Amino acid sequence: MRIFGLIKKDIVQIFRDWKSTLFLIVMPILFTLFFGFVFSSTGNGNDSEDPRLPVGIFNQQEGNQANLYLLETLESSDIIRPVASEGDITDAEQQVSEGHLAAALIIPEGFELASLSLEEPNLLAISDTASLAGQTAVDALQTGLARLKGAVRIAQISTDHYADRVGFQDETERQAYYSQAIELSQRSWQNPPVQVELKKVVEGKVADESASLGFAQSSPGMMVQFAIFGLITSAMVLVLERKSGALKRLLTTPISKVEVIGGHTLAMFLIIFLQQAFLVLIGQFFFNVDYADEPLAILLMITVLAAWAASLGLLISAISKKEEQVIVLSLVAMFIFASLGGAWFPLEVAGDAFATIGHLMPTAWAMDGFQNIVVRGLDFSSVLLPAGILLGYSLVFFVLAVWRFQYE
Amino acid sequence: MKIFDLARKDLLRLFKNPFNLVMMFGAPFLITGLLFFAFGGMTDGRDDFNLQRVKVQIVNLDQAQGGLALGSTLVEFLQEENLSDLLQVQEVASEDEAHESVQTGSWDVAVIIPKQFTSSALSTGSDVAITLLQDPTLTIGPGIVKDLLQQFIDVFAGAKITTDVVSQQFSARDESISDPALQQIAMEYTGNFPSGDHQHDDRSSSLLIRFPEGVEEPENNSMSMIAPIMASMMIFFVFFMGANTAQSIIREDEEGTLARLFTTPTLKSSILGGKFISVFITLVFQTAVILVASHYLFNIHWGQPSVVIFTAFGLVIAASGFGVLLMSLIENTRQVGPILGGVLTVTGMLGGLFTNGIPNIPEVFETINLTMPQGWALRAWKMTLAGSSMGDLMLPVGVLLLVGLAFLSLGVLVFRKRFS
Amino acid sequence: MDQNKKAIQVKDLYKSFDEVEAVKGVSFDIKKDEIFSLLGPNGAGKSTTISVISTLLEPTKGDAFVMGHSVIKEPMAVKKTIGVVPQEIALYPDLSARENLNFWGKMYGLRNTELKTRLDEVLEIIGLTDRQNDRVDTYSGGMKRRINIGIALLHKPEVIIMDEPTVGIDPQSRRNILDNVKALNREGMTVLYTTHYMEEAQEISDRIAIMDRGEIIASGTHDELVKLVGEQDRIDLILNTVSSQLSDLWRKIEGVHKISSHNGTVTLLVEDSNLLLPKLFEITNQVDIRITSVEIFEPNLETVFLHLTGRTLRN
Repeated sequence: MRIFGLIKKDIVQIFRDWKSTLFLIVMPILFTLFFGFVFSSTGNGNDSEDPRLPVGIFNQQEGNQANLYLLETLESSDIIRPVASEGDITDAEQQVSEGHLAAALIIPEGFELASLSLEEPNLLAISDTASLAGQTAVDALQTGLARLKGAVRIAQISTDHYADRVGFQDETERQAYYSQAIELSQRSWQNPPVQVELKKVVEGKVADESASLGFAQSSPGMMVQFAIFGLITSAMVLVLERKSGALKRLLTTPISKVEVIGGHTLAMFLIIFLQQAFLVLIGQFFFNVDYADEPLAILLMITVLAAWAASLGLLISAISKKEEQVIVLSLVAMFIFASLGGAWFPLEVAGDAFATIGHLMPTAWAMDGFQNIVVRGLDFSSVLLPAGILLGYSLVFFVLAVWRFQYE
Repeated sequence: MKIFDLARKDLLRLFKNPFNLVMMFGAPFLITGLLFFAFGGMTDGRDDFNLQRVKVQIVNLDQAQGGLALGSTLVEFLQEENLSDLLQVQEVASEDEAHESVQTGSWDVAVIIPKQFTSSALSTGSDVAITLLQDPTLTIGPGIVKDLLQQFIDVFAGAKITTDVVSQQFSARDESISDPALQQIAMEYTGNFPSGDHQHDDRSSSLLIRFPEGVEEPENNSMSMIAPIMASMMIFFVFFMGANTAQSIIREDEEGTLARLFTTPTLKSSILGGKFISVFITLVFQTAVILVASHYLFNIHWGQPSVVIFTAFGLVIAASGFGVLLMSLIENTRQVGPILGGVLTVTGMLGGLFTNGIPNIPEVFETINLTMPQGWALRAWKMTLAGSSMGDLMLPVGVLLLVGLAFLSLGVLVFRKRFS
Repeated sequence: MDQNKKAIQVKDLYKSFDEVEAVKGVSFDIKKDEIFSLLGPNGAGKSTTISVISTLLEPTKGDAFVMGHSVIKEPMAVKKTIGVVPQEIALYPDLSARENLNFWGKMYGLRNTELKTRLDEVLEIIGLTDRQNDRVDTYSGGMKRRINIGIALLHKPEVIIMDEPTVGIDPQSRRNILDNVKALNREGMTVLYTTHYMEEAQEISDRIAIMDRGEIIASGTHDELVKLVGEQDRIDLILNTVSSQLSDLWRKIEGVHKISSHNGTVTLLVEDSNLLLPKLFEITNQVDIRITSVEIFEPNLETVFLHLTGRTLRN
């Protein structure tokens, strides 16, 4: 059939161009690798390196027992990692402003635990609380201090009650009792008896908090993004065909317009489908993303994603007159759909309005479909809705493209 | 002078092409605008960032004891009016239902209060935990809920620790203390918490918090996130335009106008010089427009004008040199698109332009960033935004200038050899 | 010839590209106010020779002089005296005609009022005043060729070098260009013109050099060149079938000097076409081949080329 000849011609043209390999394969792998490592490291520690936020401790008085208690309390935090630092306030500010520390805590000379209960704050934290890291670090500092303060209160309560019920012989005994109480309570706070345990619901079971998202986030995100980016080469084929007059010539042969559009669209679909399949295999075998858990579901998702991307590619080639326009439109489409759809960053971190609009994007549904399988561990039925919506979008884009299509 | 005529001709061609205008201005503002929109541009006028509400289902399996029902108290706490902007709370009967909700993604987190929550909280020895089930694709929402829960239960943790410490200390001195007494001691710690008065906040007053010197506290938290993103986009698209503008020499070679230029009484050095001047002027113009427009559109305060100019100069030189060198290695205009797209995206990625703003990036990535000129440019702009002085910026801007001039020299050499 | 009366002097010019010798020992002179054509088929070395004279390429050996200036030692001086019309349309397609001319005028050192005046004059000469502000990529091929020529005229050069300026354009535009060339020459411009169209060379040139495979094989006026072939006639025959056997048989006929085939046309150089034509027909009948078309030409440059090389200019 003539349509297959057209498809074959397009595919040969695309694969002969070395740029196709760059856009379709090399770049998505590089980006997946890069962002996967970034998200793995900033997540909950499969890393050997301590992933907690570094907080500089500028201890103006070494050897002070109160300071030691404070340091021990902060050391037990899940969120911040105290870093013994030298210097004064200026040094602390510099390190924070240059991004080496998420926050800096200045412990003044003569710091006493009792001062934690005073109205006036006596510890100084330097942080850019406008940033997420700074705010998180300060919150964790406050939690740690609150616990230390709690330990002081507990020691006071215990001491007062012992004094009331039993009594101390002298001040020395009282002081010893008090110190012991502080030590006991401070140690208890390091592993509180009432805690919150955070567990992720994965594969129908609850998993340890430390299970990292890492590549499970970046792999589908980059697949979605580069399904669009890869359109540059396939849409270009059609634009060049039109520009050279070959498309017009094609219509002088016994082939219908339907076959022409269909052939070009199918070629784009096949290219993207193959790209996505390849990236799934790379994700499965090199990045340990569990696509194989529901192969039919993944097959369905990459099929509908390819269908939507192909319809987008057809639309781009329908409205572009020159090669430059293909590049601009493909890039702009990628930026808009990828960012709005949650391929770059999870929509949960975005504002309400943005997230609402984002969920209207076909890319958001594609991300949902993939993440239902690889992150949430759901089954085939969980991808039916996202797939259906993507198919709907494909139809809309396809109709638009056919309406706008020019043969010369 | 002919060198300026040549530059002028290139600039005229450049600005007539809509593609160039889109890549110079449209794209960086579009992306930053999108992210601005994402992170607060559409707030309802309040100062705080309008984050999406976290959807929380609660399963309260707790059994009351001694007139106390701490589980119910926790539920009430989460349903308080002042948390209603942050949380959308629904109480459900069974753990399975909550588990299903989170698994299907219809709810973000499920809080499972165990059966023995009250009794464990009030008695010594036994530990208890509230389970927080989360959608594994989320990070911020579960973190917020965990933080809130932790604040709440720390009161009870404190109470338990109080009873445990008192018991231990009394026992160590062979003294006894009754359970009711211990309960009372626990109440003393919580400060009549169950009666509803929980102004018991140990978190706030011990710490004075301030911004680092020279860092301006933004009017709106979301605004401060935009500045580094705008800086990243500016760097990316300035480098892009540097290469895109430099490609004109290859295009002229293909059009035949370069050969024609060589037949006119115009020095080759003027011809090449004119090209480079057009690259430089384009980038200066682009950078200036982005800086000024972003200040008004996104309320970004870039810093002291002299420092900003200094940093901008470094960026322009580095991007010009990089672009000229890149184009000198290209054979024809067909290669330009993928080289621009591919090389600039990869070097931008390695330079940290796309991970700017992600907290707690490992140090090894920061080292990798500095192997790219874009990484140094990003460092320089971050320091400028943070209020660094020109003296502080000597190193990053110096590196940019050095690298830019080195690339430019190399590119010039290659071009001269090619067209000798 | 007095050095001072020579506009261009090419002395024993060689140009090689790796192992390919594109120009081998070419020498010729062009007088001032002369139209001189380099005639030859594609690949003869005409464009390479032009490129050397235009200072685009350095010769491997030999030298060329334009208005007394060496292309090797004084290239800038040469550039000031020449206007080059390249074979390809070397224009900025996204700029208008006026913008193109304005820029190129500056490259030739024109400024301010002088440039503006000259712009208007050239636009008038090439007949594009009405469309001067339209982008070049909206022009027809003929119009683009006219601007291509116009650029070379801006600085009123003493010598204009035109490399196949009429390739790929319609007959009317070609006519315009040829008329323009003659007009420019009448105004005192020396023209070095390359072409593979015999008719063009014949029409406009004062003298012609025929080039083939990197060498000048003959030069002189049209009449001088034609005399080389004596009284030989040229016969073009179209046959209903290709046959090398027939060519071999024809070669044996006394009076048939040269036979060449190209695209189904057999060209013969013969002593006397009236005497030989019947013999040609007779042999054709013997081998059962039909002649479908016969054309007889008086000796011309095509004949000269065939006589010298055994091939036609279009081969």
